[in-house]
Amino acid sequence: MRAISAILLLAPLAAHGQQDSLGKVAESPQRRAFLALAQAAGGHCVAAMPDLAKQFAETPEPELRRLAGLALSQCDLAQGHYDEAVPVLARLKTLYPGDADVLYQTARLHMRAWNDTLFEMYRKAPSSYRVNQISAEIFEIQGRYAEAAAEYRKAIEKNPAALDLHFHLGRALLLQSHSPEDLGLARREFEAELNLNPADAVAEYEIGQILLTGQDSAAAVKRFERAASLDPAFAEALQAVAKARMDAKQYGEGIALLEKVVRLQPGNESAHYSLMLAYRNAGRTADAAAEQAALDKLRQAPEGEFTDFLKRLGDKAPQQ
Amino acid sequence: MIRSAILLLSVLLMAATPAADFHPDFHNVAHQAGLTQSFPNGGGQSKQYIVETTGSGAAFLDYDNDGLLDIFLVSGPGGTNRLYHNLGNGKFADVTKQMGLEHTGWGQGVCAGDFDNDGYTDLLVTYWGQNVLYRNKAGRGFEDVTAKAGLKQDRVRYNTGCAFLDYDNDGHLDLFVVNYLQFDFATTPKPGQNAYCWYRDLPVACGPRGLPFDRNILYHNNGDGTFTDVSIASGIAKPAHNYGLGVLTGDFNHDGLTDIYVACDQTPSILYINRGDGTFVDEAPMRGTAFDDNGNALSGMGAAAGDYDGDGWPDIFRSNFSDERETLYHNRGNGEFDDATLAAGMALNTRFVGWGCGFFDFDNDSWQDLLLVNGHVFPEVDRLGIDVHYKDRAILYHNTGKGKFVDISESAGPGILEKHSARGAAFGDYDNDGNVEVLVNNQNEPPSLLRQSGKPAGNWVLLKLVGVKSNRSAIGARVRLTAGGLTQIGEVRSGGSYLSQSDLRLHFGLANARRIDKVETWWPSGERQVEQVEKDLPVNRVITIRESQ
Repeated sequence: MRAISAILLLAPLAAHGQQDSLGKVAESPQRRAFLALAQAAGGHCVAAMPDLAKQFAETPEPELRRLAGLALSQCDLAQGHYDEAVPVLARLKTLYPGDADVLYQTARLHMRAWNDTLFEMYRKAPSSYRVNQISAEIFEIQGRYAEAAAEYRKAIEKNPAALDLHFHLGRALLLQSHSPEDLGLARREFEAELNLNPADAVAEYEIGQILLTGQDSAAAVKRFERAASLDPAFAEALQAVAKARMDAKQYGEGIALLEKVVRLQPGNESAHYSLMLAYRNAGRTADAAAEQAALDKLRQAPEGEFTDFLKRLGDKAPQQ
Repeated sequence: MIRSAILLLSVLLMAATPAADFHPDFHNVAHQAGLTQSFPNGGGQSKQYIVETTGSGAAFLDYDNDGLLDIFLVSGPGGTNRLYHNLGNGKFADVTKQMGLEHTGWGQGVCAGDFDNDGYTDLLVTYWGQNVLYRNKAGRGFEDVTAKAGLKQDRVRYNTGCAFLDYDNDGHLDLFVVNYLQFDFATTPKPGQNAYCWYRDLPVACGPRGLPFDRNILYHNNGDGTFTDVSIASGIAKPAHNYGLGVLTGDFNHDGLTDIYVACDQTPSILYINRGDGTFVDEAPMRGTAFDDNGNALSGMGAAAGDYDGDGWPDIFRSNFSDERETLYHNRGNGEFDDATLAAGMALNTRFVGWGCGFFDFDNDSWQDLLLVNGHVFPEVDRLGIDVHYKDRAILYHNTGKGKFVDISESAGPGILEKHSARGAAFGDYDNDGNVEVLVNNQNEPPSLLRQSGKPAGNWVLLKLVGVKSNRSAIGARVRLTAGGLTQIGEVRSGGSYLSQSDLRLHFGLANARRIDKVETWWPSGERQVEQVEKDLPVNRVITIRESQ
């Protein structure tokens, strides 16, 4: 909104400049920029874009560069030049990290590109299994898991050898219902995924989780171990193996695994929590306390606009 | 100091022989028992505010010392709390008015204890608004002594769980009150008005996220019928970012001091460890009871304690929200806990919103089983057509004796399968037949009274403890009972479950054992008392144990 407001504010000034002699305008880069911004705001992108591009590339003035970049990317989007908008927005994100207008414009770019591509897909390849797959993924995002599962099944019927479909179907089955019976159905899909791709560490992990829920911890641990061997940086799998080691009182091995997870993912609260309890159970009190301190720090929400908003809503200090 | 005492035998019942494969058959006998009044609690089709979602509690207590458990139920506005007197023939009579207990408001929880040590059990009822302390006048009526006792609050508070406890072991019951959050009708947004007022695309009552936190309260009993708020000095007020609901007291680390566990909604649960100098510190994260196994803070509602694996240490169960597992914390033997939910076989019931809960030995096989009652917070959820419902059945877990539970809800009788939006649940043997019954407060419906139609074969005993140097209710007394080669533990506690009060007597299933070998009691006064039985002693009775002088 800030960009549009700025453009609107600049518009009368630029429009006034437009009424001066063209020669004068041409003499001042700043005036040319204002004129281009006004033209872009008025929908005259073809006329505006050369000057916007030049200003975005050359002007030393940060706010003018920002406005020029935003207007340029907006014109690219308006004209369907998504490929050209991409580098502009990428540079804007680098120059103005966290800027709401830049992020908004970037989101619009991806949304437009997504919509156009999806439309093209439905139009040109309506019977492809990919249409069912993308439909299923959309249903998943909407929380309509039963419909997602139905679409995944259609996709599998069309292309039984395609990777990821069984995995996603298994996941949708887990999300669609709380029924213990569906655990078996989901497991069947994860197994089918593994038949297609024996190196799928996440499918192994999901089967491990199902086995664990069903009280077969010995079989579950084997699955977690295999998942971790397939992907040595798979934090959840490493953590699951570590918990099994701790349950077996193999504290040294369990702690070593958890320390590895924390090294891999220093911001992983769950890993810090597991490591804290592992140290505690092993009698390493000081290390446990250090992990608790690390966990407490992570659990403090990062400062920022959203955090402030939350604080206003819920984090008021209680009255005594 | 070890002393012996006399076993006072009260009610003698027939001995039984255990059967290997007993199947419970729970029926809801509330109507036949005379519990026909409905207990309103906000909207039944939709709810505008969070205060409509959390009530209310239930209690079993023997207010007139006739040896029979009476019933007290808390109500939301539009009704009154009710006291029902146990007539001894399976029926109850509404004595609310004559006992001076009529009261309306946003009633939440109830807890019982003899705060003035006069031998009669008193009551505290918590409210969104102002709590009420009722002094029991020798079983002939109740007197509102809130103001006289110094319990008038300086502002409207959202009081939820409560428990009497003797945290300083001075022989006088102190009082702990959980506060959920700060709420008022004027400033709280309506359904859908902000991001915290939605559930699965449905506009619903806002909160708890988005509403200001509040802090819990500890009142010290001055011994003269009055209390002093010691929340700040004791450290109870310190945890200030938690939405507390149910409270569970107990000596979780066996140091002779009562600790306090608070089940918290959407925030880490609290375990106040009693330091013995009048102060408490929240050690829940390090002791393993704040989060689930993955370090996530769940939506805790109710909590119960019991030694489910027979290792002599109290474990903790906490009921949670839908899409979360229930949580079973196994006590490692020093007041430190591991999340044993998965290992114990409790990971499958994730569609329920759980509330009242309790360990009890329904088949008297000497292993603690567990029951929890359920019901979603939002009536609107039924519009979604999913497997999560506003009214739902209870869950009954059978303890197989190997640290594992089996969900037998579907085959445990129609009482378990009835669907209600249940909240508080109290456990007690109201007919002294050795089978524990369950009283459930259902939102906007009459309560449920779950009773087994058959009789489990195992033997049993009910221990009624009477404090002398310790508080008269013996709250905080711990018992270790040995029979048939098995040792079980129990602790007298006020409050617990979800905003409810269970029988202050301790029930033990004894399986095949036909005698009790030993009962050891650790009184809050510090005394250890041992009843050693010299000869075969018939079981299946109520035994009163009085603290040695």
